[in-house]
Amino acid sequence: MEPLGLGLLAAGLGAGLCVLGAGLGIGRLAAAALEGSARQPEAAGDIRTTMIIAAALIEGATFFGLIVCILMVVASPGV
Amino acid sequence: MRTSARLALLVAGLVAATAPALAAGEDGELDAVHHTADGYYLDFSPGPKLELPRLFLVRRADGALGFDAFWSSTAAVASGRYAIADHGDEPHSPAAHAVDPLADDTVAEELAEAGGRLTGEELAETSQEEVLGEQTEAEAPYDALLEATGAAAIVVDFSISRHLVFIFLAIGILALLLIPTAGKYRRGIGRTSAPRGLLQNMLETVVIYVRDEIARPNLGEKTDRYLPYLLTVFFFILTCNLLGLVPFGATATANITVTVVLALFTFVVTQFAGTKDYWGHVFNPPGVPLLLKPILIPIEILGLFTKPFALAVRLFANMTAGHLVILNLIGLIFIVGGLNAAAGYVTSVPALFLTLFVYALELLVAFIQAYVFTILSALFIGMATAEHEHDHDHSEDHGLTAHDIAVSASNGQAPHKEHDRTVGTEAVMA
Repeated sequence: MEPLGLGLLAAGLGAGLCVLGAGLGIGRLAAAALEGSARQPEAAGDIRTTMIIAAALIEGATFFGLIVCILMVVASPGV
Repeated sequence: MRTSARLALLVAGLVAATAPALAAGEDGELDAVHHTADGYYLDFSPGPKLELPRLFLVRRADGALGFDAFWSSTAAVASGRYAIADHGDEPHSPAAHAVDPLADDTVAEELAEAGGRLTGEELAETSQEEVLGEQTEAEAPYDALLEATGAAAIVVDFSISRHLVFIFLAIGILALLLIPTAGKYRRGIGRTSAPRGLLQNMLETVVIYVRDEIARPNLGEKTDRYLPYLLTVFFFILTCNLLGLVPFGATATANITVTVVLALFTFVVTQFAGTKDYWGHVFNPPGVPLLLKPILIPIEILGLFTKPFALAVRLFANMTAGHLVILNLIGLIFIVGGLNAAAGYVTSVPALFLTLFVYALELLVAFIQAYVFTILSALFIGMATAEHEHDHDHSEDHGLTAHDIAVSASNGQAPHKEHDRTVGTEAVMA
């Protein structure tokens, strides 16, 4: 396989792994938040706010990885 | 029955629209990344492209400063004083497209000559149509950075780009909406009486939401000081995000420069808001063993910069990703249509519904990202302005604020605490 193809494959796999991690993380977060607000409905508003902040931070870390993947594709010659 | 008739009409219209698009797709190349990128034109496709003015502060050959203004990029290139900048390392330049390191040098030279540097003279020699054909093949002047020819050099490129136009548009829309509303409050409508009119009622809902749900829980009694900044950022990002979903629109917040500048504002506000406690936590973290301090202090200093960086990248990536997904779904039609025309028509139906779904998702994301940027800004500013009691028990009650008393009173209850400040939760960091 030529090096460029391997590089593109790596970028694609990397993007998939990034999203996998973020999905697992945000999934756990949402599960915990749902459980929390089911147990204590009066705290649902505060839990939602904290959940969105935490989800945004997880997402931020994911985007760092995704941008590396996108740059791998965009910056490679001949693409 | 009526719903199915409507659906049938939709699908028929879609198939009718696919035919010319498929035909056009044969010669044109769909480049999703390029579409979301900035450019010096407004795209009214399938209508014409409207080129935007190019403005340059230039140092001329004799060393004097001058200012050049052109109505369009084509005019700038045709004047002979500017040429398309040669940046062979960029992916969109033709040299990078076609040059295989193994290919012979003459091909590379020819391509570099054709696309890299089109001077005015060369443009004048070839006919207009040829030039346009050549440049869509290579790089159109309205798509490219220009550089001065000869001994002159551009000092500052003030050229108005597509995203800048939409920033101005967002500013204009917000000024039209918010200044009259602010005037109403100044006259007392909404303060001493109920808000009047659709606009004021609509905006008050959003403003109150930002104040009570975003600013107040994070900033506490300092809310009034930073609320103007948070509201400005919220409305600006929201308007920019929504303008990207309008036909012929462009998302200014899908430009990394715009989001970096917005994050820079938050960074500056946070640093100026910083109390003694905030800087103490950075440069001399309390309650940390002495041996850990050389490790922790650089991390804290780095943390000052990663927070706004994450803020900028998050907004940029979210706004770009949605557009890319939509364009890739539409591109799918042409990829399949290139293999087999009939399959292309069939693909267009699921592609349409997926596109519709992603578009609705983008609408949601436009609001969520404006919310997230604002709440994180409020959180960072709140963390900088928080005055800790130095026993580091952040969960303790900070007492009733005026807001709690007012809220309790309006609910007809005895004064009680509505929110705990979420400030001081250092675990929540970028």
